[in-house]
Amino acid sequence: MNRSIVRSSLRTLRRESFGIFALIALVLLIVGPLTTVVLWAFAERWRQPALLPTEWGLSYWTETLNRADILSTLPMSVGLATIVTAISALICLPAAYAFARIQFPGRQGLLLSFLAVNAFPRFGLYIAIAVVFYRLNLVGTVPGVIMIQLVNTLLTMIWIPTSAFQGVDRALEEAALDVGASRARVFFQITLPQVAPALAAALLLTFVATFYEAQGAFIIGVPNVRTMAVLMFSYINNQIVVQYGAVISMILWIPSVILLSFAQKFLRGNTVSAGFGV
Amino acid sequence: MALQSSSRPRAWRTWLAGYALIASPLAVLALLIFFPAGQSIVRTVMVDPDAGLSAGINLDRYANFFNDPIARSNLSFTIGVTLITVFFQFIVCFPLALYLRFSTSRIAGAVQVLALFPLFVPGVILAFAIIRYLGPRGTVDVFLRVVFDYTGFVTPYLRPSGIVFALVWDHIPFTILVLTAGLRQVEDSVIEAARDVGATSLRAFFQIILPLMQRPLLIVFCLNVIGVFGAFTIPYLIGGAAPQMMGVYMQQTFTEYLDRSGAETQAVLTFLLCALIGLLYVRTVTRRRGERA
Repeated sequence: MNRSIVRSSLRTLRRESFGIFALIALVLLIVGPLTTVVLWAFAERWRQPALLPTEWGLSYWTETLNRADILSTLPMSVGLATIVTAISALICLPAAYAFARIQFPGRQGLLLSFLAVNAFPRFGLYIAIAVVFYRLNLVGTVPGVIMIQLVNTLLTMIWIPTSAFQGVDRALEEAALDVGASRARVFFQITLPQVAPALAAALLLTFVATFYEAQGAFIIGVPNVRTMAVLMFSYINNQIVVQYGAVISMILWIPSVILLSFAQKFLRGNTVSAGFGV
Repeated sequence: MALQSSSRPRAWRTWLAGYALIASPLAVLALLIFFPAGQSIVRTVMVDPDAGLSAGINLDRYANFFNDPIARSNLSFTIGVTLITVFFQFIVCFPLALYLRFSTSRIAGAVQVLALFPLFVPGVILAFAIIRYLGPRGTVDVFLRVVFDYTGFVTPYLRPSGIVFALVWDHIPFTILVLTAGLRQVEDSVIEAARDVGATSLRAFFQIILPLMQRPLLIVFCLNVIGVFGAFTIPYLIGGAAPQMMGVYMQQTFTEYLDRSGAETQAVLTFLLCALIGLLYVRTVTRRRGERA
């Protein structure tokens, strides 16, 4: 009896040997670094050679949150991400509807042209944009940063909603029209609810990606416009107090955690990979 | 005939509505991507960018770039890091994707959650975490000292290996998402049928799975090459002072040396080097869409 249990568990072990190996490797290489950041954020003191913080506490949280640079960059980050997401939605969502539902010559080719965003090495493209912005005196201004961050959002905000609008059940709409519903009513009561999850996904992904976008904001924003993600650059390079960086990391993480709680829904379908043209 | 003439104006109106709705994102695309990229390419071959093309064409700016040993070493360093990183991305992600496709165990579920987690970790936090974990006196260093009394840990921080490690880390979720999406198209029944007629797992892999995976593999390859080539945050925060990856070199040329035309030349070189890969990517996706439609 006992022996058969041992044998079957040995068999499972052998069959799952790759899985177990992968799991251990991922825990060491992915969970490990991230846990270190969390530990630092709650460490009052961490003297070498202790494996864990020698004193725990939250005093660095109050200290970090009261720093002038944090107080100015947090609203800047949230504001920029909100404005960029709003502008992107405003210009891209109607276009996504058109790409999915209106027949016009060149539709497929124009939809594909948005892939160009992915076909350029990102930072090279940012430099080319920065050179133009420099001549237009847009370097170091909020509008400049908004525009460069907009570049990043186009593909997500067009491709994900387009595939959602394409998936809408047309029969349902026609049935509603047949019984005398107005076009507006059909759109708001039948079309919109069907695409709402994908639109929410696109909005949330865009907001989070923009909130974390540091390269474009860094090259265009200096020296006047600084977001929290850009602030992290100097905290990583020149800050001796490790806890500041750790606390900022935790704060920066909040939108991701919100995204993570919806992640199951996005990742189950091909919502995210639709944004890469897969 | 009558039907045609009455539907003509309506078709026109629909077309116009369509074009009107897509006009603004197309304008953004044109003004923020095609115009800057295009004008950069043209300006780098002009004698005098302010005088226009009529002043003549020359390649002095490229000659200057390739005559500079630092520029040359940065470029070859970038190409090397890109090739090594993309190689490791495959080595790490392809087995993981295969495992996730064919295993339904609870361990596979946990592996999937962990492998996709980097999707929710922005580059700056990743860099910070890796420095604290693998850096000098970081968690791993201290752990090896305390537990194994081992003092020979060589940190990848400020070394090329650190850049490669972080960039592989960063691209794992995307690579796995695309590869598993591709593997989902390989049906169980096809593989079972192959097994039934006596094909080994290895043979099933090479003759059934690999050919079906051609497109997802191409997409992953192209986007990872371009992604690593155009990377900035990771190499800037984790890489050493020299040689630099092109992203860091361009930023320094633009912001610190205030040499805008130099930065522009470097940017155009990265465009040209990635152009074929970019075209391959667009073509792969286009072909697939065409077949679907």
